[in-house]
Amino acid sequence: MTDDLTFMMGEFEAQFPTDRLYARNHMWAQRVSEDRFRFGFAAYAVRLLQDVYFLDWEIAAGAQISERQEIGQIESQKAEASLYAPLAGTVVCINETLLKDPSAINVDKYSNGWLFEIAGISNGLLSPSEYLVHLESVWEVTQRTIKGQMNK
Amino acid sequence: MPSRLTVVVSQGRSPNPKKRALEEQIVAGLLGDRGIDVTIVPHLYDLTAESTGMLCLSGISGDLVFCSWLYPRAARWTLDRQGIRGQEGISLLKSLGESDEDLEEPTAEEDAKHLVIDRLELPSRKIYCLDLRAYDDSEIFQEEIRRIAQESNTSTVELSSWINGNPRPEQMERYLAAEKNGVANGYDNVPGEKTHDEEDPARRWYPVIDFSRCTNCLECIDFCLFGVYGIDAQETILVEQPDNCRQGCPACSRVCPENAIIFPQHKTPTIAGSAEVGGNLKIDLSQLFGAPDPGAPGAEKALEVAARERNEQLLLAGRETVGANVGVPKRDPPGNLEEQPQDELDLLIDSLDALDL
Repeated sequence: MTDDLTFMMGEFEAQFPTDRLYARNHMWAQRVSEDRFRFGFAAYAVRLLQDVYFLDWEIAAGAQISERQEIGQIESQKAEASLYAPLAGTVVCINETLLKDPSAINVDKYSNGWLFEIAGISNGLLSPSEYLVHLESVWEVTQRTIKGQMNK
Repeated sequence: MPSRLTVVVSQGRSPNPKKRALEEQIVAGLLGDRGIDVTIVPHLYDLTAESTGMLCLSGISGDLVFCSWLYPRAARWTLDRQGIRGQEGISLLKSLGESDEDLEEPTAEEDAKHLVIDRLELPSRKIYCLDLRAYDDSEIFQEEIRRIAQESNTSTVELSSWINGNPRPEQMERYLAAEKNGVANGYDNVPGEKTHDEEDPARRWYPVIDFSRCTNCLECIDFCLFGVYGIDAQETILVEQPDNCRQGCPACSRVCPENAIIFPQHKTPTIAGSAEVGGNLKIDLSQLFGAPDPGAPGAEKALEVAARERNEQLLLAGRETVGANVGVPKRDPPGNLEEQPQDELDLLIDSLDALDL
C-alpha cells in the first residue's frame, strides 16, 4: 500500500488508497461490477468522527435513492451526523455487520468497514488525486465548522 | 406517610460506554435509599405497548422520576401516548442545551389558545422527566431525585389526616409492615431493589404529539400521506399507526404551526423536543457528509423541505410523488413572503446568515 495518497489533517496523516474512486462527501467508492459501487468512509471522515458507536440506515436493499438524499445517522465519540447518498441509484446491499458492531469503520475502514453498495452512474465520483484537491478546498471550512461548534 | 418514589432509568439507544456508566452510577447510587425503587428499562422510544419494559412502566402508580437520553418533553409525551400519564413534575435540572433565558412565561395570546391538554384528564400523580444528556455527573441526578423524593413525601404526609393523624395501633402496625416489606403502592419489590429489564427492541421511528402545544388544527393529518395520524372518539388528533411512519422522515413536524410534533431521535433540537432552540453537546458533522447548508442563499424553507422529504418517502415506498401543495397549510403561500417589506427580524436573520462560521 505504498502508493496511497496522503493528506495532512494538522499532525494527522490521512491515507487514501489509489485503487478506488472517492465521493465529495468523504466516502470511498470501489467498483464491484459494471455499474455497482461499494462505499465506505474515507480516512478524512473517520478521523473527524473517531470511535463510531452507532450507525442507523433509513434505507434498505432495493431502495431508489437520489444523490444527497438523507439515508441514515451516525453517532461517534465526538460527533453525530446525518448521512447522505454519495450517488443516485438503487441500494444493492448494506453491511449488516456494522449495525451490531460498527467498530470495523475505525479499524478496517477501507475493507471490512464498508457501508453499502449502490448501483448507479459514477459521473460525480472523483479520482484519488481529484479528491485530494477537493480536500485542500474543504479542510479550512471543516476546521472552522468544528471550532465554531466547540466554542458555542 | 412515606410514599414510594419510582425512578426509571431508560437506557440510551447506542451502547455508548459513557452513557452506560452514567446510568449504572445513578442506579447504584440510589440502591440504598429507602422509599426509592429503581428500575432500568430499554430506550423508551423503541418500546412497544406489549414489551415488558412498557408493562413495567404501566404498573407504576405513584410519582415517577423518568431519566432518559431524551428531551423531557419528548419523554413525557411518549409516555403519555402509551397511557402512562400524570401531572408534569417540575425538576430543578435543566435539559440539554437549555439556559435560563429559555424559560418563558406563556403570553396572553398563547393563553387564549385552545390547547388539547386543557381537555385531558390527567391523574394527580407527578411524572418528572430528567434529561441524562444535560449533566455528566451522576451525583447531580441523585441529588435531584432525593429532593423530588422529599417533595413527593411532604405532599402525602397530609394523608395521615384521614385518620386524624392519630392512627390506631393496628393501623400503625399494618402500615409499618407494608413499609418493611416494600408493598406500599402494591409493589412487591423490597425497598431499593433494582429491577433490570433487558430487551433488544427494534429501533422505531414515529411522531410524538405534545398536547401542551397542540391545538388540534389537524394539519398533520392532511399532510401525512402514510396514514400515521387519526382522530379519537373526542375528535382529537392521535398518532394512530406509529409504525406506518417513514424511518427518518420528520416532515409533518415542519408543517405543524405550533411545533407540537416531536421526533425524539431527530438531530435538530427543536424537532427532537427541546423546550427552545438549544445547543448540541456533540459536533454536528452532517454538512461534511452532504447536508444542505441552511444558511446558503436560496436554502429551502421549512414547508419546501417538508414537501421534498415527503416525496422522497413516497418514492421509497414505491408510490407516486405529489405536488408541494397537497395537504400543505395555506398560511404561507409561496411568493407572498418575498413581497413583504423586510422587518427587523428579517434583518437579524440576514446578518446571522452572513456570519462566517
